[in-house]
Amino acid sequence: MKIVIAGGKHEADFIVNMFKEDHHELIVINPDYDFAEYISTNNDVPVFTGDPTKTYCLSDAEIQDADVLIALNMLDTDNYITCMIAKRIFNVTKTVCIVRNPKNVEIFKTLGVDAVISSTYMLAQMIKNETSLESIIKTLPFEDDRIVVMEIGIEEDYELVNKSLQDIVFPSNINISCIYRDPHVIIPKGTTVIKPFDRLIVISTPQEQESIIKYLQKRK
Amino acid sequence: MKRNKFIVIGSGRLGSSIATKMSELGEDVFIIDANDDAFRKLQETFSGYEVIGDATDLGTLERANIKQARTVVVTTESDNINLFIAHVCFYIYHVPHIFVRLNDTDKGQLLEGTDIEPIFPFNLSIHEFLRIYNGGDKA
Repeated sequence: MKIVIAGGKHEADFIVNMFKEDHHELIVINPDYDFAEYISTNNDVPVFTGDPTKTYCLSDAEIQDADVLIALNMLDTDNYITCMIAKRIFNVTKTVCIVRNPKNVEIFKTLGVDAVISSTYMLAQMIKNETSLESIIKTLPFEDDRIVVMEIGIEEDYELVNKSLQDIVFPSNINISCIYRDPHVIIPKGTTVIKPFDRLIVISTPQEQESIIKYLQKRK
Repeated sequence: MKRNKFIVIGSGRLGSSIATKMSELGEDVFIIDANDDAFRKLQETFSGYEVIGDATDLGTLERANIKQARTVVVTTESDNINLFIAHVCFYIYHVPHIFVRLNDTDKGQLLEGTDIEPIFPFNLSIHEFLRIYNGGDKA
């Protein structure tokens, strides 16, 4: 994959290190001369010093037809412009950016940035999910909150206990992808029987999440 | 809802002059700037509304009645902010008439496929230079 990393400091450094192992074609663009030099002396990747919101700078870096561009500038609007130039002028397939203001997540997506990441927004979503549920459940949203992964602890008096998966009539949009039965990890089959104190890793959708939890936690 | 507001974003030399002019012509003008001090550039004949706030925040735009805007003129000092606001006005609020000042002519490419009208001081200066140069040549 051809990956462009525009702007950023430790985030950029971290991403370069993460991707360079996997033989991707990396291009780094950074407005900070010293930082650009630091990256290029420590890594064998092409580094361009310049403002990634300028068309000529992205052109110099030859980002044409890249698979992914990640914009990590300080200002949200700069990230928006970098992503738009990449997408509309240089035909970059997927644009990703970070934002400081969580309200920009929805706006940038509406305007055409493919993925917008805000740590505050993610934190708020996680807290929202955590508090809507009982404390014994951990959830993790992804793919734009269209999928949730939950961990649900089974107690002795649940209806499901001692039933095999094939005998349970599950609600729709549920997948029990894994059962953690200390110290074993079981990838369940139809014949797998649920035991007390199992921890089920369940994949579902946010819409069904609550009804699924209610169903799984039904007591005898 | 009637779209009859005239919104100016950025109360610099250009923004404040446009706001004053339009107000004199009887438009219902709202001018936005993050800095209260910037409104001092408005002339006494300005009878519109001043809105203090960051215009890249939709809340600020809505306080200035963006949903009822017929015209928006974007003149902050940053091209990137101007372009972003122009896109927001066009794609999210569907404002019929949008004008945006851009110092970098390359950025005009991001207006393709929209009805946003760019104002390029660079092009205007070149144009003016050639006009007066040629004019002087003849004389």
